[in-house]
Amino acid sequence: MSILWVTLSAALAIGIPALATAWAQSRIGPAAAASLAEKPQLATTVIILVAIPETMVILGFVVSILILLRAGTV
Amino acid sequence: MTRVRVMGPRTRLADALATVQDVGVLHLTTTPEYPSLHRNALEAAQVRRRRQFTRILEDIDAVVGEAPDGRSGKPGAPACARWARLARRTRRALARLEERDARLREEHAMLLRFQGFFAVFESLGLERSRRPGFTAFHVVLRSDQREVLPGLVRALEQLLDGACETVTGELPGGETALLVLVPASEAARVERLLADTRVQEVPAPTGYGPGLVEALPRMRERAAAIPSELEAIGAERAELLARHAPELRRAMAALRDQLAQLEALPLTAVTSHVFVLDGWLPTGTEDRLSRALGGTCGGDVVIETLDTAGWQGEEVPVVLRNPRLFRPFELLTAMVPLPRYGTIDPTPYVAVTFPMFFGLMLGDAGYGLALALLALVLHRRSRPGTTLRAVAEVTGPCAVFAITFGVLFGEYFGDLGRRGLGLHPLWLDRGEAIVPFLLLTLSIGFVHVVLGLTLGVLAGARDHPRQALGRGISAGMIVLIVLALLAAVEVLPHAVLTPAVVALLIAFPVLIVLEGIVAAVELMSAIGHILSYARIMALGTASVMLAIVANRLGGAFGSALVGALFALLFHLVNFALGLFSPTIHALRLHYVEFFGTFYSPGGTRYQPLGHWSPPAARTA
Repeated sequence: MSILWVTLSAALAIGIPALATAWAQSRIGPAAAASLAEKPQLATTVIILVAIPETMVILGFVVSILILLRAGTV
Repeated sequence: MTRVRVMGPRTRLADALATVQDVGVLHLTTTPEYPSLHRNALEAAQVRRRRQFTRILEDIDAVVGEAPDGRSGKPGAPACARWARLARRTRRALARLEERDARLREEHAMLLRFQGFFAVFESLGLERSRRPGFTAFHVVLRSDQREVLPGLVRALEQLLDGACETVTGELPGGETALLVLVPASEAARVERLLADTRVQEVPAPTGYGPGLVEALPRMRERAAAIPSELEAIGAERAELLARHAPELRRAMAALRDQLAQLEALPLTAVTSHVFVLDGWLPTGTEDRLSRALGGTCGGDVVIETLDTAGWQGEEVPVVLRNPRLFRPFELLTAMVPLPRYGTIDPTPYVAVTFPMFFGLMLGDAGYGLALALLALVLHRRSRPGTTLRAVAEVTGPCAVFAITFGVLFGEYFGDLGRRGLGLHPLWLDRGEAIVPFLLLTLSIGFVHVVLGLTLGVLAGARDHPRQALGRGISAGMIVLIVLALLAAVEVLPHAVLTPAVVALLIAFPVLIVLEGIVAAVELMSAIGHILSYARIMALGTASVMLAIVANRLGGAFGSALVGALFALLFHLVNFALGLFSPTIHALRLHYVEFFGTFYSPGGTRYQPLGHWSPPAARTA
């Protein structure tokens, strides 16, 4: 397979989840800020909630690495 | 915990509550009402007293919040009126001192701000300003108004036929100071000209004299005198606090105790002759409370242990009690709602796995040493029992794990140790061995999630056997899936594959029968949780790559000094990231992936009615 397709696939594997994570965090962030304004003691819960969507990009990163490894480009 | 009921004549309620407070073990709950037993409402006088105590405490808080720390004395009888007067008087005196202090500081800052201006005008010649029959104008031109100056001087000379004198000087901020001396009879015309040219005349601060010439020496004297006045105010404040703070602290303790008793009253129930109060105390302390009540109330007040059947888990107060080594990690458990009574306290597990996950992610001996130093500084600067001390004690093990894994991975500020000192990985190179590191983190995830499911089985075996069995089957199925996968990729003998798949095909319908179709979703979710541990690898790889980039970029500069400074800056940023990200993600792995398999939140914190003590003393 051409190196172009391999790298493009790897880029999409991490790029699309990164966009999805960004979108999810953009929705959680304002809600979290509003909650914190009313209840500052929720800080820890809020940090965790903001960190939850990062799973997507982390799994995307793993898949991306696996694509590159399978193709022998790394 | 043991549930008890204290009963006695209504006239002894106050004595009984005071004794309960002295012993400090009973966590009061709302006493149930019966037809003849109704909730004890506060009387009007008690409501007034509560309001009065709250007001005095506000005054005391405003005063002793600033006093040097000290233990409160034994609470005596509340001499409320005296304490109210003392607290109010001291608060007002402190407020007056604060106000004077703020005013003086403001004046001092203003004088210092103008000092640069005045020094320049002085150098332009104050003596000339005093020439009889002449008026002096002190003008400041902003740096962007500099081109106005020649035109302004020409306009002045034309206006006065040369009967004026102008001198200029540079101010520290880039502005230009201009001193204009004109005959007094022409002052009004000059003033108009300056206004038309839109240049700024420096006004002499009020209160120091009619003009700048007279004001300057007085302002200088004043600027020199203010520091000693500030010192005197500080001394007066310290003396005031030293004189009154001890008594106010005693008052604070006594009033808080009285307030706690008043707030406990509505939790009790009464008939016209009898009082009843219910609560929880640690098993084994019933005798202590009983003896104390016998001592103060004679045989009038009795304590009865209630039947333990039909306990509602949510009602029973919870206290986390762990060995000294694990206790600092209660800080992490306390960030989520407390576990319900009778369920598992996850603190010991968190104490082992949190620093381990953190260390795996940071995994650098250099950063680990820096973290250990930080932990040491925090430990030195904190008092026992405070949150800061707990943070220091959690940071210490995290640093130890970071150093250990750093040595195993051969990372000392990235590849600096390898390039400079020839130190090599003892186990694996995180930068190169990406797949082995990924498999390692997934294996850790597998063990952690299966451990959580096993704890869930143990926690639910007594009260929810069906659910516990479901969790057990889920755990077993996860093990079978992993065995099948390992056999499929020939890590395990191929003979394991068929039995593992057959066992899975049998277990799956059993799971669905036990817990419904939702069990299938939960099983998939548990597998997703295991995959989520890949973040340890992702963050670890990112951390080592950033450190390597810092070293490479540092070496790419022509100058060794600039390169070293750049690398240092980059490492500092990486270190800050290396503290924040692993903490957040290690917490998340515990709260979401691990706790999700067994944790039962919703416990009520055990808060016995007791004497108030300062926060540091309370938690020590």
